[in-house]
Amino acid sequence: MSVGASINARGLTKSYGSGEGAFHALGPIDLDIKPGEFVSLIGPSGCGKSTTMLLVSGLEPPSAGSIAIDGRPLTKPITEIGIVFQDHLLLEFRTAMKNVLLQQEIRGLDRAESRQRAEHLFARLGLVGAEDRYPWQLSGGMRQRVSIARALVHDPSMLLMDEPFGALDAISRTQIRHDLEMLWLETRKTVLFITHSIDEAIGLSDRVFVMSRSPGRIVDEIKIDLPRPRPAHLGEYPDFAAYTKRIYSVFEKLGVYKFD
Amino acid sequence: MSDQIAPVTSPPTPAARLIRAGWLWSILNSVLSVVIFLALWEGLIRLFDVPVWLVPKPSDFLGRFLVDYPEILRNALATSVTLAAGFGLGVVIAVPLALLMVSIGALERGLYPVIVFLNIMPKTVIGPILIIWFGVSPLVSVLVVFLMCFFPVLVDSMHGFRAVDPRLDYITRSMGATPWQAFRYVRLPASMSHIFAGMRIGIVKAVEGVIIAEFIGSSAGLGFMIMRASSFMNMELLFCGLVAVAIVALIFNALLATSERIMMPWVRPR
Repeated sequence: MSVGASINARGLTKSYGSGEGAFHALGPIDLDIKPGEFVSLIGPSGCGKSTTMLLVSGLEPPSAGSIAIDGRPLTKPITEIGIVFQDHLLLEFRTAMKNVLLQQEIRGLDRAESRQRAEHLFARLGLVGAEDRYPWQLSGGMRQRVSIARALVHDPSMLLMDEPFGALDAISRTQIRHDLEMLWLETRKTVLFITHSIDEAIGLSDRVFVMSRSPGRIVDEIKIDLPRPRPAHLGEYPDFAAYTKRIYSVFEKLGVYKFD
Repeated sequence: MSDQIAPVTSPPTPAARLIRAGWLWSILNSVLSVVIFLALWEGLIRLFDVPVWLVPKPSDFLGRFLVDYPEILRNALATSVTLAAGFGLGVVIAVPLALLMVSIGALERGLYPVIVFLNIMPKTVIGPILIIWFGVSPLVSVLVVFLMCFFPVLVDSMHGFRAVDPRLDYITRSMGATPWQAFRYVRLPASMSHIFAGMRIGIVKAVEGVIIAEFIGSSAGLGFMIMRASSFMNMELLFCGLVAVAIVALIFNALLATSERIMMPWVRPR
């Protein structure tokens, strides 16, 4: 099983367009993520969180700055990753299992082995019985679980998630958060988790990076020192309240929130 | 786990779906409507005593199917071959061209205005030009059919290729997919429903085109047979031709609908 990768970014900047109409979306930011670490980026809408994810995956080139994955400079899209977006982005013409095995088909992996891994993930994600269903036959939460299985079936060293639970109801969200944590504890991939939700960031992460409004910069870094696995109701930890308060106060200082 | 698998009936086997919603059912349905329609026709003509040379009764011309079936069948076959060739050519050229135009911006900017112009122009006016170039031959009809179905297939395919979520491209690239794999595994199947929508319009246009082309520049086919029957005031054969055209159109539509169901088994039954 592959271990988590390290991510080191220096002076990462992204602008779209050029000249007068250029839009400065992100940075410069520095990121240092250790192998097997679970890191969240939290910030207001449009702050460049998703852009950060695309840069780290190599799917979009940075306008300035550099990224190294496991010490190797990133120049093209890396394939040792799994990506989950806010929308499940499953292929409507493939069943749940075939959506996951797309990884195997495109990468040319061993079929039996991938199938076994997929079945294990289905079991861990509560998807047993959903294998032969098409996406339209599944609930929103189930689709997102299939999407997570697809991102993990090839045993990547890194998992990038862009508001993966953003479209789910609060109850499914709490459950899927726990299931993801358990899966991560088992495999210890490096996870970059992008979210709007303070609860989610604290509930899952080893470290939380708080970002400012556009152009996004990292304005605070919080180490979350809570035991794992974390409970559904995080409020029972006094530290949770302190972490939450700290993030809110950063947002208030930045003018994201205005409370009188 | 809090969320359960949505309670839906298990998907039926492809064979069961073919029978339930497929060609068998649609043919049965249409046969019944046609029989009722013919009975009404027969009754009205008898009631008002309309002469055969004006409007023949179904009983007048349906008998001709038995007598003249070698001629009708031969012409229907000629029309079908022309239709299949022209339609096949249209699809085989339109779909890859649509992909090229969507992928290469310059090609779209250059070609699209020309295509819009050609699409708006009635295709049958090209018939006389084609006759000068190729003489009275099946090739003329094939080319007219091609032109008739080419544009709807092209336009809908372009629409389909463009409608694919660009973030799927991120996902396939993160899998290390080659451009061919991204097309084969994602883009083509994701666009399939649009391509079929274009083909469904295309086949209707193609049937229209083949008959007109056979009217003006052919020595075989149902259009040619109808034109000749008309010049001899052979009302019975003329109406036989009409019915035969409808049957050919029906068969092509059913073939298309069936291949759609086979090629897209994932589509939610309606």
